[in-house]
Amino acid sequence: MHVQFLTLGLISVFAVSSSVAKEAETKFFERRIRPLLAKRCFACHSADAEAPESGLRLDHREGLIRGGASGPAIVPGAPRKSLLIQAVRYEKNEMPPDGKLSAVEIRRLEKWVGMGAPWPDSSAAVKVLSEAGYDWEHYRTRHWSFRPVKKSKLPEVKDVVWPQGEIDRFILSGLEQKGLRPSAPVEAHILIRRIYLDLIGIPPKPEEVGVFVAEAAVDRSAAVSRLVNRLLDSPLYGERWGRHWLDVARFSDGSGGFLDNKTNSEAWRYRDWVVDAFNTDMPWNEFLRLQIAGDLLGDKQAAIGTGFFALGPQYKSDGGDPDSIAQAKSETLDDRIDTLTRGILGLTVSCARCHDHKFDPIPQQDYYSLAGIFENSSVRELPLVESAVVNEWNVQQQAIQVCQKKIDSLRKAVRKENRDLTDDEQSRIDQWNRELADLKAAARPKYPLAHSLHDTGQRDMRIAIRGNLRQPGEMAPRRFLRILGGNKRPKFTNGSGRVELANAIADPVNPLTARVIANRIWQHHFGKALVRTPSNLGVLGETPTHPALLDWLAATFVESGWSVKTLHRRIMTSAVWQQSSQMDTACFSVDSDNRLVWRMNPRRVDVEVWRDSLLATTGELDLQQGGPPVDDLAGSRRRTLYARVSRNGDQFASDDFLRLFDFPIMRATVAKRPASIVPQQYLFMLNSRFMVMRSQAFAVRLKQETATDADTIQTAYRLLFGRLPTDMEQRISAEFLANRSSADDSESPLSPLVQYAQVLLSSNEFMYVR
Amino acid sequence: MVHHRDPLPAVDRRDMLHRIGAGFGMLGLTGMLAETANAVSDPASPLAPKRPHFAPRAKHVIQLFMPGGPSQVDTFDYKPQIEKYRGQRPNLVDRKSLRNTKNGLFPSPFRFRRYGACGKWVSDIFPHVAQCVDDICFIHSMHTDIPEHAGAILMMNLGHLQPSRPGMGAWLVYGLGTENQNLPGFVAMSPRAQPRGKLANWGNAFLPGAYSGTYVNIASMKPDRILKDLKNPWLPQSVQRRQADFLTRLNQLDLERQQTDQQLESSIQAMEMAFRMQFAVPEVFDTSKETQSTLEMYGDSEYAKGCLLARRLVERGVRMVQLSHSIDGYDIAWDTGHNDIEGGHQKLAVACDQGIAALIKDLKQRGLFDDTLVIWGGEFGRAPTSEGQKGRDHDHYGFTVWMAGGGVKAGCTYGATDEFGCTAVRDRVHVHDLHATILHLMGLDHERLIYRYSGRDFRLTDVHGHVVHDVIAV
Repeated sequence: MHVQFLTLGLISVFAVSSSVAKEAETKFFERRIRPLLAKRCFACHSADAEAPESGLRLDHREGLIRGGASGPAIVPGAPRKSLLIQAVRYEKNEMPPDGKLSAVEIRRLEKWVGMGAPWPDSSAAVKVLSEAGYDWEHYRTRHWSFRPVKKSKLPEVKDVVWPQGEIDRFILSGLEQKGLRPSAPVEAHILIRRIYLDLIGIPPKPEEVGVFVAEAAVDRSAAVSRLVNRLLDSPLYGERWGRHWLDVARFSDGSGGFLDNKTNSEAWRYRDWVVDAFNTDMPWNEFLRLQIAGDLLGDKQAAIGTGFFALGPQYKSDGGDPDSIAQAKSETLDDRIDTLTRGILGLTVSCARCHDHKFDPIPQQDYYSLAGIFENSSVRELPLVESAVVNEWNVQQQAIQVCQKKIDSLRKAVRKENRDLTDDEQSRIDQWNRELADLKAAARPKYPLAHSLHDTGQRDMRIAIRGNLRQPGEMAPRRFLRILGGNKRPKFTNGSGRVELANAIADPVNPLTARVIANRIWQHHFGKALVRTPSNLGVLGETPTHPALLDWLAATFVESGWSVKTLHRRIMTSAVWQQSSQMDTACFSVDSDNRLVWRMNPRRVDVEVWRDSLLATTGELDLQQGGPPVDDLAGSRRRTLYARVSRNGDQFASDDFLRLFDFPIMRATVAKRPASIVPQQYLFMLNSRFMVMRSQAFAVRLKQETATDADTIQTAYRLLFGRLPTDMEQRISAEFLANRSSADDSESPLSPLVQYAQVLLSSNEFMYVR
Repeated sequence: MVHHRDPLPAVDRRDMLHRIGAGFGMLGLTGMLAETANAVSDPASPLAPKRPHFAPRAKHVIQLFMPGGPSQVDTFDYKPQIEKYRGQRPNLVDRKSLRNTKNGLFPSPFRFRRYGACGKWVSDIFPHVAQCVDDICFIHSMHTDIPEHAGAILMMNLGHLQPSRPGMGAWLVYGLGTENQNLPGFVAMSPRAQPRGKLANWGNAFLPGAYSGTYVNIASMKPDRILKDLKNPWLPQSVQRRQADFLTRLNQLDLERQQTDQQLESSIQAMEMAFRMQFAVPEVFDTSKETQSTLEMYGDSEYAKGCLLARRLVERGVRMVQLSHSIDGYDIAWDTGHNDIEGGHQKLAVACDQGIAALIKDLKQRGLFDDTLVIWGGEFGRAPTSEGQKGRDHDHYGFTVWMAGGGVKAGCTYGATDEFGCTAVRDRVHVHDLHATILHLMGLDHERLIYRYSGRDFRLTDVHGHVVHDVIAV
């Protein structure tokens, strides 16, 4: 069914009506009617048929209305009068002749004709295109994300006071068009918490809050700029923002289970490489180039960047069945293509694995052009030291092996003869054992390695018919995507082609690269992206809420030398970013989804921020940076970033904890994390040893720093939330702490203060950024 | 999910919680289960019951999964012709298998007899299930894509050869929610070894985490440790209640300041549910209150205990239970068929036969059978030819799955393999078709149960699958 439909080709799908009813009709047609016609009718009644039977064509609406030898096939709105319906009911000429449609299918056809036979884009001349015959010009000029990035002009706004910078003009203009006003500036004590959690992922200390609030009272924008700059210089920044990229890179330490069980023991080097790149503000184009072809473009450090691909799944087959081997290989290639294209370009090229992309201009050929690049690139363990060191290590290891072998073979020979060792033999073995011990003692530890890519060839692939590598089709020369590189794009001839690919992606002419990352950065600052489908800027992705703003951000980003830190500064010093997150029912009734950004989105923090904040507030956080991962987060005080993570989230102790709080499965690139609220999270907060330990630590801290209950409560609130408790909170907190006389409490190993600490640490306010 | 929900007005949640929580300690546990299971489901909860696409025939699924590949011709697909052509290799069976063994036909070492009003032939290794044949619909014409365990197991459980898709149970809970908010919606169980692929068989993949299955190892199970951190070892219940109330109060004050926020509402709800789960979850996994006659009916194998737990779970509203077989800690138990059909299959059948039959009888006694779809089968079958002296290699061209209860035709046999049981030839049913049918019985159109991810709509059946209407009772 699929194949027939696709050989028919692609219909351009731009003329999408905003009307919901029309959308529903289109959906019904695309899901129920077109496939049915394609499957059961087109073989004889379409442009593909050598000579359409009876001159009747059922592959476009006009064909149905015009009809064939027997007259019009349909009367839109009147199923009973339509020949098509009579035919499929076998009331007149029985169609299709090879078997009656099912009752359900007939009902659907009747329903569709009854609707007036909606057929999307029927008004325009239907462009039925042959395979790969997309209307390229149409896509290039009509679909927003394929058009060149142009630095937008700043829109005119009525209110000239509110905007603090260019970004504000774009947002305000959108609000003004709907008659809305932006929200008031957020209070300074909330703002500093927002800035801290956003940039470094741990909350400010009470004294930092005090200083900032005082400074902001004098000159708020200067205070914000100073703080943002200070935190951008902190190494904690890279740990926070590097993590956002690691989601896109579906980073894990491997161990993906039976068909993908390799453990990537040195994966952390890529993680640290990413953190460093953020901390040093490596230009984004360079950051991407090194991840695609660092082994070919730079030194060994640069090669670590290719962990972006090398740490992806490497599927195997189970028993060596040829179909399974082909399937495993094709899934592995698909991971590379999917991560590259959705992660970096915001395109779902993987959809073209089995057939031409149905909605975006990505022919199956393009998919295998990219696949060919990865087919010629393999994962290897790259020594990060001089070859002399490697040689020395090899020599030492070889000596150890030789010595061990002497011992083993002598023992084996003796065993074979079924006798005991002679004294002489025993002393020889003793001697060798001493030598072995000396050799091992003298041997260097294994040199550091990186999981990286290297080139293995330069063969083009053939497309795989229906995605099956065992059914090769035409050649797919290695080269860039046609929609981005143009019809005359060069073939890649330099090894695997990764360098050429990297350059094509980092080319400022490429309309997607800068838009995709500007959108992702916006997403993490606001909780919602400008394009709400951050890994799909294609036809089926959402259109930007603020297209001109996105382009302005992308253009200035490139102008700034692809500086991510500059983009952070631009966004965080804007008035729009510094709005309150308070509900405004008037705005809400117009724009409940906050697409116009009339307030900051209040949101749950992710698991890293939550856990790190817990440890920071109790005074336990270990800020040691980098290095091998920790297996069990619950027993560690290091930042959550450093957890060992398995590809399926099911191998290590840390996995359980992370998954409980929406850490994604790292099997494929992640565009955004869900925020699911499930009871198990509260079992963790109420009952886990981890939470009790944090609560005890927090209680100890409070006890040390305060003398009275009233003081304790106030200090707790300042440490956790950066504010003082309200009168009500103060009162009920005091009641909770004062209730020490109940009989139950005497049985409890946890003091009321620890219980109190646990409640505050489990509270929603601590889990939210506002 | 991209669906946006308008925040509900902030109601006085505390009042409601108090109403629900009133007399908490005095209610019997079972009473509490029934009382609170549906009553407080938060419509915003990802697990809240959802309307099916159309009237369902079944509300729950119990999948009796037999990893490793049980042999059809030694269990339920009776092929007397094999004996006649013993040792020969007719064209019909001369097909590539995993190890590409070239031996001739190998008759089943087990005797078959006819049972029930439907006269179904069943091998002697399933004497108890044989007593239930009038409740069962056997599908003899199953086929799948590859003859390797890992991929085929995933195909059976997630409809895809690689571990990158959600399990069937995750899809069901995504589509239908679950009826008891105090219990996980999807429970996967096995004695000792987890089926090959482990979590992938019950994982949520790209669906939200709430839809993931919860795994329980029957052999090492402790009712109060089924879920992590289920029990509070630090505080007596009354103190814990006071602490939980205080947390709710603070969260309520926070919510009032924010005015409306669906997420905050939901989190208050989730905390209350967590509190109740501490008591509801151990109760369901504690079989000590079952009557002696019930316990005897199931017998004392580990798999039988899983069958009993499965009944208790669906009785309390759990949407799907996946109960995988294993003995001797082997993750593809039925694969012992390579070396020794007679010994291996006998032992495995003994370990599950009585429990499976008891489950069917028990569901019927309790009026749960009509609402519960029971599915038995492995990832593929085994060839009618021999491997070595007395074993069989994998056969993905044809194998048997049976279903019972939940709207399935009783006492029915559907589809057929060739005369030797090698290849499905009549009314062929691919695993995708089986999935489409299961979803259909649950009131879901497999083409409409979709989740948009990575730029396209995903389904359990991918782009395949046809409902097999002929196995559905009219």
